Amino acid sequence: MLEVKNLMVFYENAVAINNISIKCEGGKVTGIFGANSAGKSTLMYALSGILLDVKKKEEMKGGERITILGHIIFEGMEITHIKASERARKGIILCPERRRIFAESTTLENLKIGGYLATKSQAKKTLEYIFTIFPPLKNLKRREGGFLSGGEQQMLAIGRALMAQPKLLLLDEPLLGLSPMIEGMLARSVQDINLQTGITVLISEQYARPILPIIHHAYVLENGGAVLEGNSRELMENPDVKSAYFGL
Amino acid sequence: MDILIYGIINSFSLALMAIGFTLVYGISRLPNFAHGALYVVTGFLVWSLINLLKLNYLVSILLALVIMGLVGAAIYRFVLIRVRGMATSEIIATYALGLAILEFLRWGGFKGMTYTLPVFIEGSVTIGGIPVDLQRIIVIGIGIIVISFMWLFTHFSKTGLAFRGMAQDEHAAMMLGIDSDRMAVIAMAMGSILAGLSAIALLPLGNIVVEAGYNVLILSIAVCIVGGLGSWVGAIIASFMIGFLQIITVAYIESHFQMVVALLAIIVTLILKPSGLFGRQKELEERV
Repeated sequence: MLEVKNLMVFYENAVAINNISIKCEGGKVTGIFGANSAGKSTLMYALSGILLDVKKKEEMKGGERITILGHIIFEGMEITHIKASERARKGIILCPERRRIFAESTTLENLKIGGYLATKSQAKKTLEYIFTIFPPLKNLKRREGGFLSGGEQQMLAIGRALMAQPKLLLLDEPLLGLSPMIEGMLARSVQDINLQTGITVLISEQYARPILPIIHHAYVLENGGAVLEGNSRELMENPDVKSAYFGL
Repeated sequence: MDILIYGIINSFSLALMAIGFTLVYGISRLPNFAHGALYVVTGFLVWSLINLLKLNYLVSILLALVIMGLVGAAIYRFVLIRVRGMATSEIIATYALGLAILEFLRWGGFKGMTYTLPVFIEGSVTIGGIPVDLQRIIVIGIGIIVISFMWLFTHFSKTGLAFRGMAQDEHAAMMLGIDSDRMAVIAMAMGSILAGLSAIALLPLGNIVVEAGYNVLILSIAVCIVGGLGSWVGAIIASFMIGFLQIITVAYIESHFQMVVALLAIIVTLILKPSGLFGRQKELEERV
């Protein structure tokens, strides 16, 4: 469904993503693991097209020079130079790191803004679906996004992304800063979403254990390059991975 | 009593002038310094449609508003899109446009005291012993309609909700498929229509003069800075503060100190609370 070929991203002369080639199979959950500064978020921003806008703004300001090389192919179409909103229209929706909830709008408004691309009936159906997978949100409809707890905000962020009718859902560190109990619950919800709706998921995380059970295939990034790949069992059995990423 | 009544009228006039400016700034962070020029252009446009093309007053108003919307969209599409993101260039470009439009009008012969728009309805009513002409009541009416329309628009329509998303976090909105340029075009068009609408409501109270463009710009900026740039609630509250202060100044000091009030309000705000009453200086907070 999504194929990245030899993607390279430079900030000035520093390489942020070094020749990464990855594939996301349709209907599957793909994982990206890596420590801080491994390039996970840059990869996510490159895939969703936000990086293009950052690049444009930096150029306007005369700031940092960002270079993007390589190819991003989505459903057989080259999208490397297509802007973010068009990619979202094609079905690539990013649920960003640190959630970036619209803090001054209520939960329901956040979801409605997320439904910008959805038709009325799609929005209604998705809204119901979100309240069934994330029941806590139901009682927080009128609360402003900024007053939600971290876990609730993350649920809202995923829900908001679902409202945009994704084909490929990019989840950038969805478990960041959450308690182990909520981590497990969110991981299961992501699995449910994948199984029930068939949405392809690409999920990036630093700490792999809670999401290892739900992924089909994963890549390990280090210093901007993909150093390892495999399905969850293969990664589990690799001794380096075990000690470095799974805390075993 | 007359302070209360004229204060309310003046406040609504200010709110009408400023709401277009704050809308554009709130959504796309574009300070539209051509706002005052658009205000005056609408006045002359309506005047020309009525007197040169002999159109009906209502038809002229509607036609002028449509044209203003197109003008606003065109300004963004052909000029501002190229300098977007460079704050200084945005100000220079919009200010230059405004200046060019106003001075072109002056050069084109639109000067003096001969250009007036007819009031909507002749006559006046007496409220609490004070005579108030109906046009001023209509200004309040239009103000209330515009404010409630804006509230409904930003809370219930898809585009309005997208506006609010854009205003809060542009990138997060883009991730959801909201096109930043498209929203900015719509915002500029709406901002220009609002500038035009305020002109149509307010100009029948006096003459159409080119200088009004500069005054309207300064007043809009004063209201927006006091209220906090980009905040709609702040702008409305600030227009009431400045509106009443102006009327009190007129009543107790002298009428030509009116403009000083607006400028003093800017200075005092910048000294005491630079982000304004309801300002959101997020970038600043993050940096600290």
